[in-house]
Amino acid sequence: MIRYALKRLWLGAIIISFALMMMFAMVYLIPGDPASVALGPRATPEMKEALRERMGLDQPVWRQFVNFYGSALHGDLGTEVLSDRPVLNVVMEQLPFTLALIIGGITWSVALGIPLGCIAAVRRGGFVDQVIGVLSVAMIAVPSFVVAIYSLLVFAVALQWLPAIGAGDPGNLASQLQHLILPSLAVGLGWIGYISRMVRASMLETLEASHIRTARAFGLPEHRIIYTYALRIAVLPTITLLGVGIGHMLSSSVFAEIVFARPGIGKLVYEAISVRNYPIVSGAVLVTTVFFVLVNVAADILVGLLDPRVRSSFN
Amino acid sequence: MSILTDTRVSRRGLLAGAGAFGLASMVNPKISWSADGPILKVRSYADIQTLDPCFRLAAPEGDITSVIFAGLVVTTPGESWGWRPMAAETITQLDPMTVAFKLRDNIGFTDGYGQMTAEDVKFSIERIADPANKSPYAGDWATLKEVEVKDKLSGIIHLKQAFAPLWTSTLPTPSGTILSKKAITELGGKLGVKPVAQSGPYILKEWLPKQRTVLVRNPDWKYEPGGFAEIHIHPIEDEKTGELGYEAGDLDYTWTAVSSISRLKQTPPPKTKVVEKPSLAFVWLGMNQDVAPFNNPNMRRAVQYAVDRKAVVDAAYFGAAATATGIIAPGLPGHREKNLFDYDPDRARDMIAKEGLAGTTITLDILNKTERLTAAQVVQSNLQDVGLNVEIKQNDSGTFWTLGAKEGDYWKKLQMIISRFSMQPDPSWATAWFTRDQIGVWNWERFSSEEFDKLNAEGMVELDPAKRDVIYKKLQDLMEENGNYVFLTHEVTGVMYRDSVAAGLKPNGEPVFTDFKPA
Repeated sequence: MIRYALKRLWLGAIIISFALMMMFAMVYLIPGDPASVALGPRATPEMKEALRERMGLDQPVWRQFVNFYGSALHGDLGTEVLSDRPVLNVVMEQLPFTLALIIGGITWSVALGIPLGCIAAVRRGGFVDQVIGVLSVAMIAVPSFVVAIYSLLVFAVALQWLPAIGAGDPGNLASQLQHLILPSLAVGLGWIGYISRMVRASMLETLEASHIRTARAFGLPEHRIIYTYALRIAVLPTITLLGVGIGHMLSSSVFAEIVFARPGIGKLVYEAISVRNYPIVSGAVLVTTVFFVLVNVAADILVGLLDPRVRSSFN
Repeated sequence: MSILTDTRVSRRGLLAGAGAFGLASMVNPKISWSADGPILKVRSYADIQTLDPCFRLAAPEGDITSVIFAGLVVTTPGESWGWRPMAAETITQLDPMTVAFKLRDNIGFTDGYGQMTAEDVKFSIERIADPANKSPYAGDWATLKEVEVKDKLSGIIHLKQAFAPLWTSTLPTPSGTILSKKAITELGGKLGVKPVAQSGPYILKEWLPKQRTVLVRNPDWKYEPGGFAEIHIHPIEDEKTGELGYEAGDLDYTWTAVSSISRLKQTPPPKTKVVEKPSLAFVWLGMNQDVAPFNNPNMRRAVQYAVDRKAVVDAAYFGAAATATGIIAPGLPGHREKNLFDYDPDRARDMIAKEGLAGTTITLDILNKTERLTAAQVVQSNLQDVGLNVEIKQNDSGTFWTLGAKEGDYWKKLQMIISRFSMQPDPSWATAWFTRDQIGVWNWERFSSEEFDKLNAEGMVELDPAKRDVIYKKLQDLMEENGNYVFLTHEVTGVMYRDSVAAGLKPNGEPVFTDFKPA
């Protein structure tokens, strides 16, 4: 198991390196000059040159990459030259907001997706199953930014039940949770559909298994069969799905953070790219890639821990 | 089985749900109060990156520095541009090149940096003007000779030459802000995002990046206090998000999208004032005279005749903005009453036919904003009507603002652009970007006129408004006669705020936070 985890981590390191190389290539291939954008029309050519020098943009791209990567290995992501703040600080103070958004999205998707999938499986072929099927596909099909805009219009503007912008008052958990409801729903809604479809399919397969038939033959109550035996097995693929889903939720968070004017990594990167703020883009991509890789490794390990068959396959 | 399959909603469950929704609706208060008084919640279009007036990057930073650091004078809100003393007890222009000031006796800096003195005024002004500091705002003090300290509170600002924008876009802006010499020196010459030695009517209490900036009344400010105990400034880039935040009750004041103005005026949110203010900014269609086909002056003139400016502006701004007669907005010296060349498609067709340029395809570069795209599409249709094809190329801001730079190669392909510059209330701010030394910097049309450069320099030091009016009108005539420009609009600024707020707005709709008061 440990060997397997180490293998996954090694693969993760390769993914991080590749993602950073891709990011560097893409950001530097698009035209634009961060110094001109940052300093505005009143800056003289000398001032722009000085800023480019401070940002290290006077060096070849490969050297910038090597310098960034070398420093990153020592935990230093450089300094954001406009505000003179360490890039790591800028990124890390935004990360918790995105994590909260993703956890909120997962909560929505798990809390609704698993019961819906169970109900659909138990009522297989019936009216309820069909309704849940239609709802699930609809939730998958609607883009997160559409959910964000319409939920904001309905629940914040028209009904005024929930706040429209921001992340809530610092230190006030109730306010922060209140501000999290709509954005996390926007991020998690599609995954309610995915998870309900996944749980339904797994449940159907599990309910046909011989040990379930045996349990029924022994007269165990149906709810016990479903909760204790079937659901536990049926939910395992959901963990792997969520590992991948977190990556998608990271990208969905960009829309949610912009529409709801929330702080977060997505908005930070979006704004940084639009002004070619390379140190912030690099730092944020590195941190999010590391996070994504770790989540997937953790999901794989968790599946291994929960399922003895997977565990034995490692050995 | 029954637990999972029984999905009926009970009466008790329904009542519980309704109760929960009712409770939720009470959680979002519409009036915010702190322990010390009312809180004003406003939208700003960007977060701060520095609070150093010398190196400010955008207007939202200026809005904040103008209230946490006292300047000699401050812009007054209202319908016309004006100023009033702030840190200065008296300030007088003795002659075109000399300004005498005396500071108020009891303005203190926070963090134990003592009283504001004339030495601080000298330090702050000369710091911006000093070329070694490379401030983007050095031009605001372009003709400064020195600041002479007479005594603890008095001094004289000496200029090398008269400087017309001094009282409009230098002294009342953050370029006239006074910082503590001791504090900035201790910080190594530069202020970051953590303000030290604040001195204005408000002080910055808290900055949460990308979330909000909280200003609170300065307890040591001895003069007219700010109207609100706290001002919460929320950085929201998107105007529509700001509008929705306002309509949801999370904001008390916001700028609106131009496209929303007519809707909001017709059906404003409850208890809301919707205000439309003329903007100083200018939007134009530009043609690069160093690149074919616009190296042909007749082609440039044909485009000037071909564009129906009213149709362009009506479509792009939903009828809320008027067409421009130049780059200098109404109310400023140099504003022209009419254009030299107006919509005449028949004439345009004749000229294009004579030059044998019918069927030519032109690229039009724009910033990827909705109103620019709409404007570009109407231009495309207008030019199609006279036999020219237009390909619209949308660019993000990082790309767009470098298109005409001499450092790159794209200026050799750049044919037409729709661009927009923001402005300060002095005509010199409009014309400064079209001189020959700006070619490849901000003069992307590569308009080149010796006469223009000469007159532009004269306008900067001429103090007589009547003479300046003549100079700046002539400057715009030269731009239009050369054919590089189709002046489109000055846009319009939409603002909405609660009727419980008396908003302190500059004539162009920008906020003066010190002058926001409860109504």
